[in-house]
Amino acid sequence: MIDFINYLINGALVGLLYALIAMGFVVIYRASKVFNFAQGELVVFGGFIVWWMVASMGLPLWVGLPLAFVAAAIFGLLVERIFFSRLAGESVFAMVMVTIGLLILIRGLILVLFGPQVRSFPIIFPLQPVIIGDILIPRSLLVGGVITVIVGFGLSWFFNRTRAGLRMTAVAEDHQVALSMGISVKRSIAFAWVLGAVLSTLGAIIFLSGKSLNFLASDIGLAALPVALLAGFEAIAGVLLAAYLDPIVGGAIGTVFPFIIMLLILFIRPTGMFGWKTIERV
Amino acid sequence: MDPAGVFATSFERDQALVRTRGQWIALALLLIALVVLPHVLGPRLVAISTNMLIMAVVVIGLQINMGYAGQINLGQAAFMGVGAYATGALAIKFNLPFWLSIPLGGCAAALFGFIFGLSAVRIKGFYLALTTIAAQTLFHFLILNLPQSWFGGSNGLTLEPAQIFGFSFVSDMSIYYLCLAVTAAMVFGAYGIVRSRHGRAFVAVCDDDVASGLMGINVVRTKATAFLIGAFYAGIGGGLWAYYVRFVAVDQFTLFHSIWFIAMVIVGGLGSITGALIGVFVIKAIQESFVTLGPSIVAQFPGLGGDVVFALMNVFLGGIIAAFLIFEPRGLMHRWNIMKRSYRLWPFPY
Repeated sequence: MIDFINYLINGALVGLLYALIAMGFVVIYRASKVFNFAQGELVVFGGFIVWWMVASMGLPLWVGLPLAFVAAAIFGLLVERIFFSRLAGESVFAMVMVTIGLLILIRGLILVLFGPQVRSFPIIFPLQPVIIGDILIPRSLLVGGVITVIVGFGLSWFFNRTRAGLRMTAVAEDHQVALSMGISVKRSIAFAWVLGAVLSTLGAIIFLSGKSLNFLASDIGLAALPVALLAGFEAIAGVLLAAYLDPIVGGAIGTVFPFIIMLLILFIRPTGMFGWKTIERV
Repeated sequence: MDPAGVFATSFERDQALVRTRGQWIALALLLIALVVLPHVLGPRLVAISTNMLIMAVVVIGLQINMGYAGQINLGQAAFMGVGAYATGALAIKFNLPFWLSIPLGGCAAALFGFIFGLSAVRIKGFYLALTTIAAQTLFHFLILNLPQSWFGGSNGLTLEPAQIFGFSFVSDMSIYYLCLAVTAAMVFGAYGIVRSRHGRAFVAVCDDDVASGLMGINVVRTKATAFLIGAFYAGIGGGLWAYYVRFVAVDQFTLFHSIWFIAMVIVGGLGSITGALIGVFVIKAIQESFVTLGPSIVAQFPGLGGDVVFALMNVFLGGIIAAFLIFEPRGLMHRWNIMKRSYRLWPFPY
């Protein structure tokens, strides 16, 4: 029984971690309607920035982490400046294809800058688990879960309640209409990428704390896809709930399981649980 | 566009793939060059050429699927893998000759692709692309977890060389000619498909599926057919690959390979069979020259290290994909057409 509860709690917490990664997808999708295939690479890149700041340069955590976030934000901005600002008004198809190019590009960049070796990621959260009675909870997952919930609700509030967030929503809905309403598509997309890169770095910190890091860790990007799908790509707070309902995904029984779930979702309810019902079928 | 003064005077002329005497000559020269090629080049270049021919088949399938029908397919490598494994298993278990096992492998891949194409019944656009990622992981999972006696599991499959009338395709040159023959047939078939009723239906669905639905095209069937054909081509390519390498393993067909195929289509130009061929040639040539020049670059700058050169290739090619989408989204083929057009019209501006 205790084992089962342990498993359930850990599953849910790992699910929340996936939710955090999935949020990176959702934020970029929500603000620019671009499906970012390079999400996993963003996570790994964020992870490497943190590793570089903290482990390689030897900065203390309270300096290294904020600096890493700033670096990630700059990286996100650069990606937007170099690639996506030129594509404003082009078809979404082209933008999504560019993210596929980015996937290769960032992977290469990681290999050039940091090499293919396996690095040990700094221990951000203490390794000893939190023990409540007989239940063991890894500390990084617990703290990460709390952060994820806070970030999730914060972003949800931002996109649904604030003026800036609604503007970005309008951009995702239709670039041309948004432009003619006086909303800057470029700025919206830039913000989306900054936010996406920062969120990915946050995900990397929680995911990798105390583990080993190399460029293959990017698999988590695609593994987090089903969570985003289950929630529906537009729903940010929904991602949190989806991750809870989906402890099997988090439990990571097999690498293929998330994708089978994904197929089922796509067939049964392509908009997910909370997505906008805009998927047409011809 | 035909050169000035060339007009089709009969339906056959209008339908012709090769339209002028110049094009006939160019085609003949190309074929002669391809036939003579292995006698001129060294063994390594022959191996690269064989590789290119096999990839050409796979990428043409992707071109039909993605360039013509507009369905993003991130699982082409998986479809190729299904073809390779099916061909290998048929050849090993049932001792089928290669001229039977390769087409059957193609059919197996087509069936696999068709199943994923059928998801077009429920979903469209990028959600459809996501199912093809699922195809990729599903393929890996199935191969590794099905009984080892079926597909060799993680050990892979080892094939005997292809044989016909007692002649076995062992040498690099013979396998080159086998691939050349199959590829030529597949290219010819692809030209036929894209100008047929189905090909035009693909283009219509790609441009606007609502409108084409209203015109009486069965949109779902068209999309599923596109996947069927694309996966069939991938399967044939996979079969050739199986007989070329004579060893089939699951890590030869990863998501990254699929992405390379997409890169080839984009660089060559969406919506053109010739473009697919050009894309394969350009990307593969760049890749191989990195591999060849890599050691000498490392020798020049010892500080770089061998990994860096390989990594730089990724950076370069990722950059190329992005650059093409930003600056020339219609690929090299479009550029070539523009050049041809201005040359034909010269000295007039239009």
